[in-house]
Amino acid sequence: MEKSEEAKNAVEVTDVCINYKLLNNITVRRALFKKREEEEIFEAVKNVTFSVKEGGILGIIGKNGSGKSTLLRAIAGIFSPNSGSIDLKGHSVSLMALGIGFKDNLSGRENIILSGMLLGFSEKEVIDKIESIIDFAEIGSFIDKPVRTYSSGMHSKLAFSITAMLETDIMLVDEVLSVGDEKFRRKSLSKMKELIGDRNRTVIIVSHSIETLREMCDEVLWLHDGRIKGMGEPNDILEQYVEFMAK
Amino acid sequence: MILLNLVMLLGPPLLGWWLYINKLHLTVKRSILQFLGYFFVINLSSYVVSYIRGVKRLVFDDMTVSYRVKFFCMGCVFAIVLQSLIFIFKRNMYIFKHLKVDILAFKRDMKKYFRYSVRLAKADLRTEVANSYLDWLWWLIEPFCTMLIYVFIYGFVFQVKEEYFTAFIYIGLTIWSFFQRNVMTGVNIVRSSKPIISKIYIPKYILLFSKMLVNGFKMLISFGIVIIMMGVYRVHITINVLMVIPIMIDLFLITFALGVVLMHYGVFVRDLSYITEIVLRMMVYMTGTFYAVAKRIPAPYGEILEKFNPIAYLIAAMRDVLLYGKSISYQALFGWAIFALIILLFGIATVYRNENSYVKVI
Repeated sequence: MEKSEEAKNAVEVTDVCINYKLLNNITVRRALFKKREEEEIFEAVKNVTFSVKEGGILGIIGKNGSGKSTLLRAIAGIFSPNSGSIDLKGHSVSLMALGIGFKDNLSGRENIILSGMLLGFSEKEVIDKIESIIDFAEIGSFIDKPVRTYSSGMHSKLAFSITAMLETDIMLVDEVLSVGDEKFRRKSLSKMKELIGDRNRTVIIVSHSIETLREMCDEVLWLHDGRIKGMGEPNDILEQYVEFMAK
Repeated sequence: MILLNLVMLLGPPLLGWWLYINKLHLTVKRSILQFLGYFFVINLSSYVVSYIRGVKRLVFDDMTVSYRVKFFCMGCVFAIVLQSLIFIFKRNMYIFKHLKVDILAFKRDMKKYFRYSVRLAKADLRTEVANSYLDWLWWLIEPFCTMLIYVFIYGFVFQVKEEYFTAFIYIGLTIWSFFQRNVMTGVNIVRSSKPIISKIYIPKYILLFSKMLVNGFKMLISFGIVIIMMGVYRVHITINVLMVIPIMIDLFLITFALGVVLMHYGVFVRDLSYITEIVLRMMVYMTGTFYAVAKRIPAPYGEILEKFNPIAYLIAAMRDVLLYGKSISYQALFGWAIFALIILLFGIATVYRNENSYVKVI
């Protein structure tokens, strides 16, 4: 307890609610001539409050549609919560997603730079890292060929390497990724573990795999229908979760 | 007679009122107040217009039917306009509160993402020509051929006579297609970049900005042809040619401003792309792409069109400085720049307030 009080929070999520309006497209006809339709609002996340310490690893578990990915996207800044606040204390953040902004007709090398810059790195930072990304991806001379000529395995290898080598302070992982053939799968998994295990980095993982969460996380948050059902030691929460799901 | 008077005066406010209460459930008292407000505003504006047009007093007894019909129609138009204005303002009032924050954010983001948008633009240009036989030559061939078509139709069939007609049309066409392409891209850009924006945060206008760089580059290439044509025609070049740069900046600002605003509404209003297409098609003929608006459309409307349509003004100005060696009014140029900046500010602020809900809608 004492130790955790020393460490600062890297992520503070306070009383966050996220709604989806199911009926949201206005057409001109509707705006002028129809009665105001009752807007259906779907509350994906309801009054969620939690925080993650710097260097902490938080796992989020819950059944499908319980708001896990929505919450993760809100933390990544892709959309804002309807109420409540998310404070990242000025850390850089990225959502681990494969192949953001890939252009099929461009070479792998060009795509690395584009994708990296989209992740918020400067041109120079990406170019400094580009060799290590290419090494890690193991796709050889294909790196200078257009991405559309890649096999799907090569595509995901390259995509994975970009996200793995360009590191941010806070990493958000939606399902632990392992891609490619058997050899690369092992390599990528161990790289993931290395990235997640790094104590300077704060990680939030969304997963259905109880094994992964038990192995990697300091803490587990259980979301159920958009609300927090429990948060605490991985073993306790996961046990409750398994029990609950077995019903 | 009395019935006619009643219809004339009460009809339009009723329409506006009906459009309004349709959507809200108000108390009886409030909706009556609302109606009275509409009644005064709409009839007052109709009266003001007819006053300006020369009818100094409303004498109900010697009113012609045609006047009544006009009055009524004008009222209906005002009702719809009023309704739309209320609708738009209600949605956007809160935006103005955060203007200063947004300007700072705009500066910061522009700095942060500028390199990215340039890279993206280059990449787009490269992909566009990657698989065609004629490569970047298409950027010359396409506008050139369009120009030939219009020269044939307007110069040969309709016998429009202008000095340096080919270059005249070409300048109009180049500027217009820059404007049109960007506006159309703007309307659809959020939807079409779903793969990016659903995975990562990026200020949405950066995507538009990048596309504008692409189109801007193509426009510059087209202007290369203009220079060649000027050489062929042996156009007398004056110092006024330097005004090309501020004209270009104006064009860029106006297009960007309009694009950003349309981008925002394009997300929520699905049919906006149809509407924009129609409006643009109409505008192309009012902008003087193929003829000189101020000369061809009878006075005073030609002048008015050129004065109140920034693109028409810019096209005319561009022709004046490049082909006819005339100087142009700095005030108008400056005025349009200010206008564009205000719209841009409004657009950027709107986008910042709303962009995080775009993903939820598309």
